[in-house]
Amino acid sequence: MTGATSGIGLATAEMLARRGANLIGIGRSEDRCRKTEARLAALQPQASIHYFAADLSLQSQVRAAAEKIRASLRTDGINGLDGLVNNAGTFTYWLALTAEGFETQWAVNHLAPFILTLELLPLLQAASGRVVTVSSDSHYAGRMHWDDLQLRRAYNGLHAYENTKLANVLFTREFNRRLGGRSGVKAFAVDPGLVKTEIGFKGTPALVRWVWNLRRSGGVSPEVPAGDIVSLLGEPSVLQSREVYWKGGKPKKSSRRAQDDIDALRLWVVSEKMVGINQDRQHE
Amino acid sequence: MNNFWYAQNHTGMSRVMITGATGGLGKAFAVECASRGWNLYLTDLRPDLLETLAVNLRQTYRVRVDWQASDLTDPNSRAELIRQAAEDRAPFSALINVAGVDFEGPFFDQSPQQIRTIIRLNVEGTLDMIRGMLSLRDPLAPFRIINVASLAGFYPMPVKATYAASKRFLLDFSLALRNELRADGVTVTALCPAGMPTNPECIDAIDAQGLMGQLTTCNTGSVANETLNAALRGKAVVIPGGLNRFLQAAGSLLPGVWVAELVGWRWKAARRKRFAQNPAAA
Repeated sequence: MTGATSGIGLATAEMLARRGANLIGIGRSEDRCRKTEARLAALQPQASIHYFAADLSLQSQVRAAAEKIRASLRTDGINGLDGLVNNAGTFTYWLALTAEGFETQWAVNHLAPFILTLELLPLLQAASGRVVTVSSDSHYAGRMHWDDLQLRRAYNGLHAYENTKLANVLFTREFNRRLGGRSGVKAFAVDPGLVKTEIGFKGTPALVRWVWNLRRSGGVSPEVPAGDIVSLLGEPSVLQSREVYWKGGKPKKSSRRAQDDIDALRLWVVSEKMVGINQDRQHE
Repeated sequence: MNNFWYAQNHTGMSRVMITGATGGLGKAFAVECASRGWNLYLTDLRPDLLETLAVNLRQTYRVRVDWQASDLTDPNSRAELIRQAAEDRAPFSALINVAGVDFEGPFFDQSPQQIRTIIRLNVEGTLDMIRGMLSLRDPLAPFRIINVASLAGFYPMPVKATYAASKRFLLDFSLALRNELRADGVTVTALCPAGMPTNPECIDAIDAQGLMGQLTTCNTGSVANETLNAALRGKAVVIPGGLNRFLQAAGSLLPGVWVAELVGWRWKAARRKRFAQNPAAA
């Protein structure tokens, strides 16, 4: 579980821990990681619960986190992952490029899930696991600007956010198309709805904080999408479905642009180039 | 990625030198140049940040990216940088002088060392780089120079006196040099942006200016794109943002003493507000 120290990620982690699941959480702050780890461990003393801190805006740290996950499973004598929840997401009002030269939302919301899923694929295959990526209904407004995917030249924080959430659905779609059959791993994109989280408060200007405070007051508590995520991870029936986008335990119609197989393929190829992976070659 | 767009803008850039390449605006220039398929030579203070950026630009955009860490306040370090850049004889066709510094605060709150650093980096460093890089220019292509001045270069600015004056120097110098070198196929473009959200302190300062901060602020990515397009057309001055162009035009109609009064009033108010919220920043 990424983004597992606050919001939807924390609620899901807590729900999973209560059910006795072994859990690895990734969070941005070392301090919050330690606190959450201790709290969840107290909730379920016999489960193995580990938290690692990583800044998922940096590819190097996503890869380091994957390595920590592998090492931790080896130590615990566990040889597979039943699920990966790509939950961590961010909103940045002003354009900020990471030290690696990527737009921050593109890096955290799209590239990090892309890398982490491919890094952990062998472990997921070993347990016929599932990948759940937290998208959003804001993907309906998103579109892929192929000549400026990260919106560097015409940045608008909200549009950039919407595009990354569309990328989550396209990624999930293409993952199932190219790997679903042969890997035994199935991917889902989740629409959490409007949720009372802190996403609009983290490092944003006063105006944005004010708007988000107003807007989120109509939202549901994080336990609602957490329940959806837990059911997608565990429910046997969803494995029979070919649907990509889910809300409230049921398939939901995603945007027309999210159903474009060519765009899904194109995004995959462009993303491979951005992260220096050639997935086809790895499987030859 | 988009061949039509690339072809339209391809003007035979051989290599581009960017100073201050790992800062907010420098990074935006580096990524924008790389996305246009131009080879790069990057410099800044920290080797680890340069290496990280270079590795990812090579991987994503398949361009050649070299780098050399240097301290442009130091003449020896500048000379060493030019020597390194000359090493493999690949010529340059552009220089983007982004490296610059300010230690905000009243003149007598700044140390003599800080004042010297502003002059050494913003003025001396930029001039030395221009001289050095022109000796490495590609003889078969036009040479583009972009100097990052500032909107501050148009005004006398209390609380940022030395910085604003150093940017005024760059602005006037760029205009004059542009005229001198025009016949040699060299263009000189002065970029005069307002504050940009490049680091937490800048974002903090923009926030403290309220609505005005929101309206005058431009994102680094669009500034880099717009400036490169302007440099390719040989434009003399680039002021990103409609409101900023208006403020510059309006400011130029007023006597300097009045402008200093106005700017001083606005900056001091913003500083009071900012430090009232966050005393640690003082």
